[in-house]
Amino acid sequence: MFDETLNERQGRLDKLQLLGLLGLMLLGAAFVYSATMVNDSARLAPLMSQAWMKQIIWYGIGIGAATAICFVSYHTLASWAMIGYWGSIGTLVAVLIPGIGTAHGWGATRWIDLGPFQFQPSELAKLTFIVALARFLSRPPEELRMPVNFWKAMGMMALPFALIFKEPDLGSALVLVPTGFAMMLVAGVPRRYLFRLIGIVGTLAALVLVDVLFAPPSWQIKLEEYQRQRLLVFFGVNFAPANATPQEKERLHRVQEAKSYQVKQAMISVGSGGMWGKGWNEGNQTALGFLPRDAAHNDFIFSVIAEEEGFVGSVIVITLYGVVLFTGLRIAGQARDRLGKLLAVGVVTLLFSHVFINIGMNIRLMPVTGIPLPLLSYGGTSVICSLIAMGMLQNVHIYRKGY
Amino acid sequence: MTVKSGGEEIEMLVFDQLRKNDPQLQLLTLIVCVGLVTLAAGLWWVQVVNGREYQSTLETQSYRTVRIPSLRGKILDRNGESLAENRPRYSVCLYLEDLSKQFRTTYRKMQPVKVVTNNLPFWKDWLGFDSVVTQRVRLKPEQIASLEQASRFHVVSNIVAQIGSRMGLAVTLNPTNLHNHYTKMRAMPLTVLDNLTPEQIARFEESCADILPAELVTQSVRHYPRNTTAAHLLGYMVSNNDSVEGEEAFFSYRLPDFRGVVGIEGGMDMTLRGKAGTKTVTVNYLGYRQSENVWAAAENGRNVGLTIDLKLQATCEQSLRTHAGAEARGAVVVMNVNTGDILALASSPSSNPNYFINKFPPAEWQRWGDNTIGVQKNRATHELYQPGSTFKPIVALAALEKGLDPSETIHVEPNPKNPNRGVIYVGRNRESINDTATPGPYNLRRALVKSSNFYFVTMGLRPGVFNRVSELAHRLHLGERFGSDVLPLMQESAGHFPTEKMISSQWMPGDTAHVSIGQGKMDVTPLQMAVLTSALANGGNVLWPRLVARTQTQDMNALEPSIEFPNKRVRDHLGVSDRNIRIVREAMLAETEDDEDRATGLRVRVPGLRICGKTGTAERKERGEIHNTTWFISYAPYEQPRYAVVVMVEDGQSGGGTCAPVAHDVYLALQKDFLGPKTIVQSPRPTVPSRIADARGNTLPRTTNHEPRTN
Repeated sequence: MFDETLNERQGRLDKLQLLGLLGLMLLGAAFVYSATMVNDSARLAPLMSQAWMKQIIWYGIGIGAATAICFVSYHTLASWAMIGYWGSIGTLVAVLIPGIGTAHGWGATRWIDLGPFQFQPSELAKLTFIVALARFLSRPPEELRMPVNFWKAMGMMALPFALIFKEPDLGSALVLVPTGFAMMLVAGVPRRYLFRLIGIVGTLAALVLVDVLFAPPSWQIKLEEYQRQRLLVFFGVNFAPANATPQEKERLHRVQEAKSYQVKQAMISVGSGGMWGKGWNEGNQTALGFLPRDAAHNDFIFSVIAEEEGFVGSVIVITLYGVVLFTGLRIAGQARDRLGKLLAVGVVTLLFSHVFINIGMNIRLMPVTGIPLPLLSYGGTSVICSLIAMGMLQNVHIYRKGY
Repeated sequence: MTVKSGGEEIEMLVFDQLRKNDPQLQLLTLIVCVGLVTLAAGLWWVQVVNGREYQSTLETQSYRTVRIPSLRGKILDRNGESLAENRPRYSVCLYLEDLSKQFRTTYRKMQPVKVVTNNLPFWKDWLGFDSVVTQRVRLKPEQIASLEQASRFHVVSNIVAQIGSRMGLAVTLNPTNLHNHYTKMRAMPLTVLDNLTPEQIARFEESCADILPAELVTQSVRHYPRNTTAAHLLGYMVSNNDSVEGEEAFFSYRLPDFRGVVGIEGGMDMTLRGKAGTKTVTVNYLGYRQSENVWAAAENGRNVGLTIDLKLQATCEQSLRTHAGAEARGAVVVMNVNTGDILALASSPSSNPNYFINKFPPAEWQRWGDNTIGVQKNRATHELYQPGSTFKPIVALAALEKGLDPSETIHVEPNPKNPNRGVIYVGRNRESINDTATPGPYNLRRALVKSSNFYFVTMGLRPGVFNRVSELAHRLHLGERFGSDVLPLMQESAGHFPTEKMISSQWMPGDTAHVSIGQGKMDVTPLQMAVLTSALANGGNVLWPRLVARTQTQDMNALEPSIEFPNKRVRDHLGVSDRNIRIVREAMLAETEDDEDRATGLRVRVPGLRICGKTGTAERKERGEIHNTTWFISYAPYEQPRYAVVVMVEDGQSGGGTCAPVAHDVYLALQKDFLGPKTIVQSPRPTVPSRIADARGNTLPRTTNHEPRTN
């Protein structure tokens, strides 16, 4: 089917992917509206400060940035990779300095306050990491067989991972792992290294989990308390140790109720949507505030869609992401060179990780992590960075094999 | 690339990737595929397979059901005058959801702060950061809860005080009440001021309109416009919002409601009350009300139309008070002898049923509980009395049926202790029964007029007569209830009359003697006496009394017809000859008209109306004291009887002295409003009215259903 495209003039965009992205953005604007227009104070706010309008503006800015990126070949972009990488590492360090990073009223300092706009360095770091790693891995396969290069690649991944983990933002840190791994796999890093990597990561993860869930407190590694609780909630483990006093059990039980609240309400939202949903802007869970108002329009936007549009709506969302992901893989397959292919694979894997983790947490397939649903969740940095990533995909497509 | 259908294109997209000769990309495509399918499967499981379960969880956490009482039916008299109706009751309520923001800001203001001096690193100090900062004190959960409670009280009591000062009223708010309301009924309005007067309503409207969370709320409550009139008949209601049978049983909240306890309110409660409705209140995650929706509207109760005539009822009650004192303990029953309709059913003394809705004045509450006055007793249907001499007409009938010659004279022996009065000795131990009549010769007529105990005891003891008395009593259904279908008052007593079994074993002549003069082992209610009197008047038909004429919907526009309860329902027949009835009737007429014999019932007389009557006095012992029950039973007009009037007064002087004047007032009223002047000119034909021939209830007398009123 693509044979006919081979001889066509270069510079064509992947229209199917653009269609998928357009669909996602329309859904995003519509459901950010639905999730936020819940009371009079939201409805009476000036148009420009209403969340859905701001989201549309982010889309505009993001599309602008993506278009701009398409004008320069990804090779030119990649030559700036290391600067971008170290720059974003710089912002990640800056966010950890008290006074620069803000907690935004949350438990973690993830934002840098830029006046009217809060910038989330980890979102940018994911992109610069992909570009830098793609550039690094695009060297000849022979070089990749050298352990030193493997460890260098691991180091490139570990540095932002550690800094994001420190914020703390475990979810954002974790998505770097599959992204890096997929890129190494596609680049042709020897299997044995990858198996080793899987072995190390898997064992570590298992050990951490067992430790967090079952070990006596003095043996546990120091996770943030809320992270530990999220894991306990996800695995349905009782907060209270077996030897706790009844009062302590009672108290911990109440804490557990409170901590499970968000997931429970997300599940109720998704489940009560049923097959056809309640209709746009008709969701009870957001209107009555059971689904926390401060999370409904960003991390839990999928709950809103699932409640209001039902299983049908959920499938539409998954299909739209499918279109974007598979066109992305097609772009990877048609890339002119390994750099392009690696860039595309990185972007696709990153996108897929976000989608899987975010939708998964709505149905308790994944623990709750503060990971946005690309293009649907409200949030400037996330939207703009997602669109830039899509611009990079299109860039790879535009400058694909053209003979 | 040609345009293809979306599905096909996506399919191609996926499989093309899988077919490519690039194992790494293939693996990646496979992983993405599996991941997306997993998500879709998970969503199918949550949304489609378990959707219902989550839907019901959603409902329990976000809906509350509220029971809405229905609009109670009115109680109307036979002319449609209202005896019990509904009126709006206004109260000032606060909606807590409107205050939730204030609760939060007040909480923040009340949260304790501490001033902390931090040791700043030199560079921060140099940059001008302040080392002294105020911080909020971290509180324990219990402290937070009590501070929240205090801040809520602070906000609400401020508003309540504001309302109070603007309305010039002292309004207080109890912190415990507020807390209970907040924890248990957060989605419901909090009542601050109840039962406002019209002036207070006006003042609230003009001065408190800007206090937004406060609102005027109306509730429909019972109102008895005639206050104490027919109080026992109407009964009263108590506060109760339980679900009744056939109603939704589970509600999160219930609005205040009342339940009828006794009287028509109690006995016809299911008809009057209608069916409570349900509204659902959507609450938000904090438990505050978000919106309301009527799920099932309340069904109005039905109006109940009584056979009672309000004016006549009031006359009866007034007359009792006039002739037997303000706290007269007595009863008056007026019954249509041909239809069984009860036109008045008065019992005195009574209280005001409105007090149960509003509030009892303290003195009235004491009176309500005072057993010696017995305000709660319905003396017309619930209390039992011995009929005394008013039972003698039945004994006379029985004797006549057994072949007594009405002209036969019996000589009353003088009492050795009191030579002006007679006495009779009964049985082997020669029990003496005093007679109020003077010694001398008595025939039936004179014996009835003078109410000779000697004569009727002698009759009762004659062979076969008492058995006949007992038979008549059973045909009159003495000792039996009318039942709640006929008399839905929940205050009814059966009374007593010796059964066949009692009479056939261990029965002494003395027992016969006492029952023959309406004392001893028998007692009745005034209503039973009215049925008895009606049977004497209409020629022997024992009728079912009718108190409830109809029930109808409250909706004037509804086409639904009213449900009518038939009158003229014959319960039994005395089975005595017309001749004998006529003889007794003549004797009872003499009781009110015979000047020569100084008849006892003279004071009932009404010009232009011939009345048949019988006085009576029964003695009862109560805590060692002898108390009288005085009676006057009567019917009129003599020529063509239409109404029976039975008057009973506890501790009256005598039947003729206390009760007959009451009956006199009642007949005056009946003559004016029911009988009309026409009856006066009617030929004084001393015959029984056209015989109520019916034995099986087929051809009933040609009396009108509705009493004519001639004003």
